[in-house]
Amino acid sequence: MKPLLRSLALSALAACTLAAVPAQAAKDVVFAVASQFTTTDPYDANDTLSQAMAKSFYEGLYGFDKDMKMIPVLAESYTVSGDGLVYTIKLKHGIKFHDGTDFKADAVKVNLDRVTNPDNKLKRYGLYNNNIAKTEVVDDYTARITLKTPFSAFLNQLAHPATVMISPTALAKYGNKDIAFHPVGTGPFKFLEWKQTDYLKVVKNENYWQKGLPKVDSITWKPVIDSNSRAAVMQTGEAQFTYPLPYEQAEVLKAKADLDVVAAPSIIMRYLSMNTQQKPFDNPKVRQAIAYAINKDAVAKIAFSGYAVPADGIVPEGVEFAAKLGVWPYDLAKAKQLLAEAGYPNGFETELWSAYNHSIAQKLTQVVQQQLLQVGIKTKITLFEAGQRVEMVESWQNPATAPVRIYYTGWSSSTGEADWAIRPLLGSESWPPRLFNTAYYKSERVDADLKGALATTDQAEKARLYKDAQETVYRDTPWVPLVVEKLLSAKSKKLTGVYTMPDGSFDFTEIDLH
Amino acid sequence: MLQYLIRRLFGLIPTLLIVGILVFLFVHLLPGDPARLAAGPEATPETVALVRQDLGLDRPLPEQFLRFAGGVLHGDFGRSLRTKRPVSTEIGERFWPTFGLTLTSMVWSVVFGMGIGIVSAVWRNRWPDRLGMTLAVSGISFPAFALGMALMEIFAVQLNWLPSVGADTWRHYILPSLTLGAAVAAIMARFTRSSFVDILQEDYVRTARAKGLAESVVIVKHCLRNALIPVVTMMGLQFGFLLGGSIVVEVVFNWPGMGRLLVDAVDMRDYPVIQGLVLLFSLEFVLINLIVDVLYAVINPTIRFR
Repeated sequence: MKPLLRSLALSALAACTLAAVPAQAAKDVVFAVASQFTTTDPYDANDTLSQAMAKSFYEGLYGFDKDMKMIPVLAESYTVSGDGLVYTIKLKHGIKFHDGTDFKADAVKVNLDRVTNPDNKLKRYGLYNNNIAKTEVVDDYTARITLKTPFSAFLNQLAHPATVMISPTALAKYGNKDIAFHPVGTGPFKFLEWKQTDYLKVVKNENYWQKGLPKVDSITWKPVIDSNSRAAVMQTGEAQFTYPLPYEQAEVLKAKADLDVVAAPSIIMRYLSMNTQQKPFDNPKVRQAIAYAINKDAVAKIAFSGYAVPADGIVPEGVEFAAKLGVWPYDLAKAKQLLAEAGYPNGFETELWSAYNHSIAQKLTQVVQQQLLQVGIKTKITLFEAGQRVEMVESWQNPATAPVRIYYTGWSSSTGEADWAIRPLLGSESWPPRLFNTAYYKSERVDADLKGALATTDQAEKARLYKDAQETVYRDTPWVPLVVEKLLSAKSKKLTGVYTMPDGSFDFTEIDLH
Repeated sequence: MLQYLIRRLFGLIPTLLIVGILVFLFVHLLPGDPARLAAGPEATPETVALVRQDLGLDRPLPEQFLRFAGGVLHGDFGRSLRTKRPVSTEIGERFWPTFGLTLTSMVWSVVFGMGIGIVSAVWRNRWPDRLGMTLAVSGISFPAFALGMALMEIFAVQLNWLPSVGADTWRHYILPSLTLGAAVAAIMARFTRSSFVDILQEDYVRTARAKGLAESVVIVKHCLRNALIPVVTMMGLQFGFLLGGSIVVEVVFNWPGMGRLLVDAVDMRDYPVIQGLVLLFSLEFVLINLIVDVLYAVINPTIRFR
């Protein structure tokens, strides 16, 4: 090497050392997501996306892995009393919040007391106040939670991404509302900044308690509203991961050498509910006729471009205690026969409403309309925008006059178990405006099964009761289960360890960029 | 002149008051309960009641209006129901991106539009006119979302010359302002042309030519000034529309502007944000009208204010 060059190289090297540039290039990952975050406070969020993002800096006592299997996170182990009322939870040692506070049992108490206090007016209040009576600190690493009534799905609730541990010091410092702008948790990343209109950025937590993690230096969560623009930023390399990807972009992105398109299984159930309190849907034969008249394969192929599978039960596979009951057969002759038996040989006219007004719902309602026409049922389609939907369906006060007839909607059980997949949708306590039983379905047998399953701590008994509830619903047919969606995402081939979870959340514990 | 300006500015007050009342009433007439929407589908009625109380929506309507009006007088537009941040912050953060985009689009579209219009009028019914008007008709008829997506596909995805979404550097401004300005440029071209064609037949233009002035002097000095009046009116109107934030362009280019804020706010029935935005839009229009009136006097000194 020539002297001049060598001295240049040496001084360059010296400059590098002085500036303390890391040996490797920084690993910065950009996620392009579909909407803006409403808050960073999971107790005050009602959208899956905000809670998924909050997993960057927050962790719960329990959590879900990428397949929605429950795993302990900050908790070491738990015991439950024989009557199913008292949960004693042992915590892991040596974990610190980002602000240096030690994670101890007082954090459990502070966080659960916060959400169950109505004065704090948190959006998740109802979920916790229904069952938590009190939370106590037994010793530094043991917390005891007492329930009002036995609730066997309680651990799943602790694993829900809403139930996270916020630093008690930070909560005291910023207060109940401002904590949303200064999140402090125990998670793999620390909150850096949130530019509401543009992005939210988190950086590596160097002192993370799981050694060797996280493997990247930062994640930038960037809301890109338009779905075609989301596909564009993947192609330009401005983002490394995006969800959801529109079906029509899947083929284009599959052709790119540096991108992977992933269709992941989900627990998002799409169904038609029928108002069982109103004629003609009070007659089970009419409801069954409609179920026979709809070709679920066609729905999956046309409306979802094949990125969905016909539903084979009331609760989708992947939810704990889901029962496989078989896809409801497509049989026009049978449908006509049942309609004739019910006294409607020439069909009837009714309303077909959709809870959404996006293009998938448009296609889907049109397919359903055409198929029902084949058995003589004429439907009038209305696609609701969110405000109209709330007015006409979710907040309708008097069940006797509810105008909803056939209603296209969907649900995913965010706690990953059967109770939250059945009770809010089919329990007789859940008629609007309380919850989401848009079929106004009432079955004493199902109600008893649900109640029994929550009270028991015996897993086999629980499984039996949930199976019975699902079979009863299937026979009574307040719904036509249509399809279970697949979740379409795209990622750079360089990115590993990022998964779309079955409920539409993300798992990025092992995220790495090569 | 100054007196005139002051009088006009005072005239703003009743206009804004009426707009304020109307907007408040219309917004509360929209179907859908904001508390239910904010609480989400999984919420129990108790939670919805808590959220309603938190948002102050449990109060009687007149009381809500008085609180809103009183706040506005103190410069406080309330807090967004969705993000809980002050409305002034929400709008303030998005005003400048929209303003910047409007300005860049207006500058290029006025320059090009007027250029094409003048050329078309001077070479009327000859090939420059036909080319110019073909461009103008295409500009009006090509929908903005299609143009935006086509530009993004070519320049960001295929050629990789420009960034696709966001509003961080000057390079981010190129594609959205081209998209947004295309229709305006087309309208300006057609307006300038028709205004110019009329002027070119005026007696004083014949006189100027008869004096032996060069054609370029006739056009720039004698025609342009007089042709500008209707063009400036149009410019003001377009500027007002663009300042409202173009929903289509802002969605396609993920522009952090006011159009998207308005759509989000209407979706979630975010009353305070809708009210703040509509008040701002009315104020902008009134101010732009005022500026246009002042410009008339600058262009044509024979116009007097009373």
